[in-house]
Amino acid sequence: MDVLVAMSGGVDSSVAAGRLAEAGHRVVGATLKLWGGESDAGCCSVADVDDARRVAQVLGIEHHVFNFAEEFERQVVDHFVDAHARGLTPNPCIECNRHVKFDLLIDRAHRLGFDAVATGHHARIVTREDGLALARGVDARKDQSYVLGFLTASRLAGLMLPIGELTKPEVRAEAARLGLRTWDKPDSQDVCFIESRHGRDGFLRSRLTLTEAAVVDRETNDVVGHVPAAELVTVGQRRGVGVGADGEPRYVSRVDVAAGRVEVGRREQVEITRVLLDEATMTFARRALGDGDRVMAQWSAHGTAQTATLRATPRWHLELDQPARPVAPGQTLVFYSSDEPEIVEGTATICAP
Amino acid sequence: MSPQYYFDHAASAPRRDEVVDAMAPWSHGVVGNPSGSHRAARAARRAVEEARDEVAAFIGARASEVIFTGGGTESCHLGVVGVALHHRRHFDATSVVVSQVEHHAVLDAAATLSRDFPDVKVHYVSVDEDGVVDLDELAQLCSATTAVVSVMTANNETGVCQPLDAITSTVFAHVPGGAPVHTDAIAAAPWLHLPTVTATAGLVSICAHKIGGPVNSGALVVREGISLDALVPGGGQERGRRGGTVDVAAAVGLAAAVRATARDLTEVHERVTDLQLRLATAMAFLPGAKVTAVGALRLPGTVHVTFDGLASDELLFLLDQRGVAAAAAASCSSGAAQASHVLSAMGVAPERARGAVRLSMGAETTEADVDALILIVADVVRHLRAEG
Repeated sequence: MDVLVAMSGGVDSSVAAGRLAEAGHRVVGATLKLWGGESDAGCCSVADVDDARRVAQVLGIEHHVFNFAEEFERQVVDHFVDAHARGLTPNPCIECNRHVKFDLLIDRAHRLGFDAVATGHHARIVTREDGLALARGVDARKDQSYVLGFLTASRLAGLMLPIGELTKPEVRAEAARLGLRTWDKPDSQDVCFIESRHGRDGFLRSRLTLTEAAVVDRETNDVVGHVPAAELVTVGQRRGVGVGADGEPRYVSRVDVAAGRVEVGRREQVEITRVLLDEATMTFARRALGDGDRVMAQWSAHGTAQTATLRATPRWHLELDQPARPVAPGQTLVFYSSDEPEIVEGTATICAP
Repeated sequence: MSPQYYFDHAASAPRRDEVVDAMAPWSHGVVGNPSGSHRAARAARRAVEEARDEVAAFIGARASEVIFTGGGTESCHLGVVGVALHHRRHFDATSVVVSQVEHHAVLDAAATLSRDFPDVKVHYVSVDEDGVVDLDELAQLCSATTAVVSVMTANNETGVCQPLDAITSTVFAHVPGGAPVHTDAIAAAPWLHLPTVTATAGLVSICAHKIGGPVNSGALVVREGISLDALVPGGGQERGRRGGTVDVAAAVGLAAAVRATARDLTEVHERVTDLQLRLATAMAFLPGAKVTAVGALRLPGTVHVTFDGLASDELLFLLDQRGVAAAAAASCSSGAAQASHVLSAMGVAPERARGAVRLSMGAETTEADVDALILIVADVVRHLRAEG
């Protein structure tokens, strides 16, 4: 098959390309140029392109660089800034996957005559009775099925995930065996367009006027502190909102940017058993889930999935079996099968109560 | 590895056999350091000075005005920053004026200067829809504090030529006592008679590999009366204007390249102009295609086309698959096609600018090459529009 492999310059996509080449496919590697600004986050910088290019040369495959910077700026970066401005907590990596990597790139691959697109994500495509399904990668600590949760069965048909069956150490060993210089390259950590020395804070400050907010204890209604930027506070967060007068930690239960108000409370006060879902964003991989269906719900990239029941009324939401820390509106939630917890059933965006 | 159809001469011209032959004796065995005093050193020195004479004649300058550099980017940097630094120091001149369509060798040099010396301000002259400098605006941007003005002879992306004589006279009319005018003649060198075209410019940059010579070999003409600070002073070579052992092979290679170019200039210009018309006409008929600045004075070798709604990345990928070497805008260090600052300055709509392809010919391009290219481009465009 003619396969276009998205190569980030990291060890995972290096090995993805290597495995496909060894399997006899006609492989072409492409690095996406997405971010034109300063960054040291370790993904898709010029140094990363150099690594991807060199790996491709060693593997004996063609390497190209595709410029999607404009679309990335609009659909990922602007979206990120906008979401924060509204007090939401976005996941830019998912937006990038949704709009750039698994939309624009797949379309481009088709136009250029490729049969499939491959990436180095730690996830697997498995066959079930009713079609293809996305499954967690074998290495639980590195599983990336969460950021691919929006992929439908038809999209999966044109996709290959060659390293989902390997643990991270196995990936690195494979890279070393293939003679790839990325074998010991550290994994990229944060969002690719944010510099570590500035952080999210510095990045947003350069694009938004940030709103100072009063931190209010929801029990007493007392103002217990201030934060310099409401846009940077995440629902559920404990860090930075201090402890209460009683010495117990406080968690953020609500952020109101417009009112300049951050509400906090003790764990028992703020924990939730219900997660509201934005119906417009609900997508299912194969068959649609319905009212009463049991699921495993995960709402952060490396969080543990919680058992829950999907409910449709009065609005779509999840009834959690166990109380959990409040979740941030704007976060992505992925449904995993309650029968087979490694299989992805669908996704939805969390909305504010 | 030669592609079947090489239409990227503007990026690098095929190395001429006569260049390789001329350089060979200076690329192995004992090559004296031209600064030394013994026989081998004198022989090396003589080769350099003979090369200097040839380059001087090619550009239309005196030998003493020619500095050998490590390439076009360095020549431009020296011609802009070296001059600016000198004039800032001696005359408090802190303004640098460049056109919006200059090559990054000039733009980045100016920007870096301004970054390192905050009192230096860079002013960018806009261009019209053909990419030609606005002379009125240039006049307004010139002042008593102008240290240097830089406008390219012809654009490396679009091939559009600038009215250098009018530009230099504007500068002299609006800067009391005049200011040095640098011109990047790198793209123009394969095609134009530089002694005529750049006669009024005080500084002229060229490089070897656009005319079939080696890479990292260039020259800067600094006409008598203009002073500059060396960027790399150490060693004092090139009369203190460019330190470092002069690369004899590179200088000899540049000289062989200019010799060949000058010899064939008229014939090549005529023949390729016909090919340009043939190619441009065919391109203009493709759906959604527009030949850039078709009404402007352009270098014969370049046919720059924009395809509305298509992506350069995809056009070039498919052309490459079919054996055609071409380019879009300048490539950045990552290798990705960048949005062209030249097209942007010309007011080309982004949707169109994204689908830019530069087809650039050279002395060896044949009619058969052009005809084959026309069919391939038409096929690629048809395919992308159908799949779109």
